[in-house]
Amino acid sequence: MRKDAVKFGFLSPGLLYLMAMAVFPLVWSLTLSFYRWKAATAAPRTFVGFGNFLSIFFRDPRFWNSLRFTVLYVAIVVSIELSLGLLLAYILSERIRFRNFFRVLFLLPMAAPPIAVAFMWRMLLNPDAGIVVKILNALGFNMVRWLTDARFAPFVLMAVDIWEWTPFMFLGLLAAMQSLPVALYDAAQVDGASRGQAFWFITFPLLLPIMVTLILLRAIDAFKLFELVFGITGGGPGTSTESLSYYIYTVGFQYFDLGYACALSWVFLLIVLIMANFLLQRLRRGI
Amino acid sequence: MQRIAWLWFGTLVFLLGFSLTCAAAGTWESQPGEFKGQTITVLITDPHSAVVESWKPEWEALTGAKVEMVVVPYASLYDKMMTDFITGTGAYDLICWPSTWAGDVMGGEWVLPLDALMQEYGYPDWDDVVPAIKLIVSWGGKVYAFPYDGDCHMLYYRKDALENPEYRAKFKEKYGYEYNIPPKSWEEILHIAEFFTGWDWDNDGETEYGIAFIAQRKTQAMWSYLDIAMQYAAQPGVAPFFDPDTMEPQVNNPGWVEAMDVIQKLTKFAPPGLLSYGYSELRQAFVSGNSAIALDWGDIGILEQSPEKYGSKVKGLLGYGPLPGAMKTYDFKAKQWIEGYNQVNFLNFGGWVFSISKFSKNPVPAYKFATYFTSPERSLLDVCGVHGYTGANPWRFSHFKNVDKWVEGGWSKESVTKYLETIQTILSDPKAITDLRIPGAAEYYDYLDLYLAEVLSGTKAPKDACDAIYNEWVKITEAHGKEKQRALYRESLGLPAE
Repeated sequence: MRKDAVKFGFLSPGLLYLMAMAVFPLVWSLTLSFYRWKAATAAPRTFVGFGNFLSIFFRDPRFWNSLRFTVLYVAIVVSIELSLGLLLAYILSERIRFRNFFRVLFLLPMAAPPIAVAFMWRMLLNPDAGIVVKILNALGFNMVRWLTDARFAPFVLMAVDIWEWTPFMFLGLLAAMQSLPVALYDAAQVDGASRGQAFWFITFPLLLPIMVTLILLRAIDAFKLFELVFGITGGGPGTSTESLSYYIYTVGFQYFDLGYACALSWVFLLIVLIMANFLLQRLRRGI
Repeated sequence: MQRIAWLWFGTLVFLLGFSLTCAAAGTWESQPGEFKGQTITVLITDPHSAVVESWKPEWEALTGAKVEMVVVPYASLYDKMMTDFITGTGAYDLICWPSTWAGDVMGGEWVLPLDALMQEYGYPDWDDVVPAIKLIVSWGGKVYAFPYDGDCHMLYYRKDALENPEYRAKFKEKYGYEYNIPPKSWEEILHIAEFFTGWDWDNDGETEYGIAFIAQRKTQAMWSYLDIAMQYAAQPGVAPFFDPDTMEPQVNNPGWVEAMDVIQKLTKFAPPGLLSYGYSELRQAFVSGNSAIALDWGDIGILEQSPEKYGSKVKGLLGYGPLPGAMKTYDFKAKQWIEGYNQVNFLNFGGWVFSISKFSKNPVPAYKFATYFTSPERSLLDVCGVHGYTGANPWRFSHFKNVDKWVEGGWSKESVTKYLETIQTILSDPKAITDLRIPGAAEYYDYLDLYLAEVLSGTKAPKDACDAIYNEWVKITEAHGKEKQRALYRESLGLPAE
């Protein structure tokens, strides 16, 4: 009994910290999501039950627009980043010249803070003075308004994300490739397998679990897309690049509609949990 | 006898010293060493930080206090400020904010009313402040902010383009009439902008365009649209935002839709990068000479004067005028168009102001620092160009009189006379319309900005955008309480409460 008390004594600071830092904000934000609270005007909170959630699902086209954009964004960038990362990892796992130089070079975009990346690309894509735009104009794309045309701006954001985060996939896959048992490849070579066959029948299946893990991590991160939107397009033109995170930020910190922003955050959390659960189940079942 | 004389002398010295101390305690003028060891924090955006930067060293040296600045981008200012208020943190003593948020900031009583401090310490020449600016720093009969900036949009035009006789003749040949200088109506502007688009009319080897304005999302583009909407949807002295009797938003009435249509058409006659123009980009682009016409506050005029500092290629080439009017306007009460010329002056934004947070732990140093740099002589240096581009425009009567200082700031006498005359005419217009100043103004305007961006990028038709804004404005009004909003809207217009 006394031993239990000692154990509990040692555990309690950690538990208290966890309660204060993780559990309390969650419970508090869940409570707020049932209220209407326009905090900027110092008006009192009003209990609205599930009113905020009903508004989100049935009366808020902007939520659906931002969700649609975010899902599309995640699907496209994660697929391309995985493919490119795999390709780069495969190439750089071979013994090629300047291999170490390229490895470092490909990691640089990931090392930069996302908000710095956003402002850098905003400058590079400036329609009047951006060097990238000038090059693209010289190549005959002068009629394309990269950041100010709703048809192109989402893809520009995706391109920047791919530039920034492909190294993450590359790094994970390269590490995984280098840990694969050499004996399998030797056996395949003895059996007369080509390089392509060795890749598809040995490398790829062995990499699948790490791929799913990387997809999971990257998808959750991409789902939280904020900095690039904030720094490059501000969600525009119109709402064409407004991600779910950015919409929640706008509602919470521009309109100070805190109850509604909390409700949106909980919907966001549930979506991410469902997505993560799906991927984790695939991982547990061995894909 | 000698002892009595010494006693008298001593008493006199004491009384003199005492009265000086009392006077110093009760004056807005900062005294040597009076805030030694204290620190005040200022929340501010660029380019206004230039003002604080200018005065901070000498005020710190004088008072012994320290001024710390937190500079944030305009897009983050509202959330930084309101988060501090709502959480009661008190991280900022003095905040520089746009007065169009008065409904939230003053109405929410997040900042200190200044009346008591003004009474105790005085204020540097209150009578020198232009009445329109006195209005924007007040709420419910109390003063909540320090005036600091006189804001209204005006029209800038290239004299070398619009006044060129050859171009005027060609224009007349094409459109069948001669335009006014400065242009008088948006109908005229549409033609002029079209005429000056896509060719090198200033012979600098580059293609120029007709018009430039702020058009980027979340960078104040809605005020470009409001410049036009005021002419088609308002009449002098009659604000067009809501019906003050019913609080019904007017934003989708035919006047507003017409203005949305005009601004969409204008994008065809603007530089290719228009939709990426925030206020900084617009100013830089226009003074680099890429357009014939621009709409802005007084800031382009300041940048115009400094080829070395701001790359201006248009020094002495700009003309200034009030906002163009329209050849018809929609009367929302009568629900019909009124044919005939209509021109409305609009105090866009209202101007930047400084306020003391109600959570400030140093209200007196904050008060004295603000009065220090907004005093007549010092503030003149901030608005006339001597301190460069600060974002502050003239707001005291004395700013308009002291032309010599403006000349010192890089202006020619002819240019500055016309520039000041234009601004003073707008600011002193008793029927000029003040900006939306009710609680939720930032949110109303964010939705206006949002759907305007869709119109400018061509993804939404003007009528659909106006209808979408209307729906959002209805929701916002209901969320804040329709009756409460109606009362505050009426109050902001100076209408009697019912």
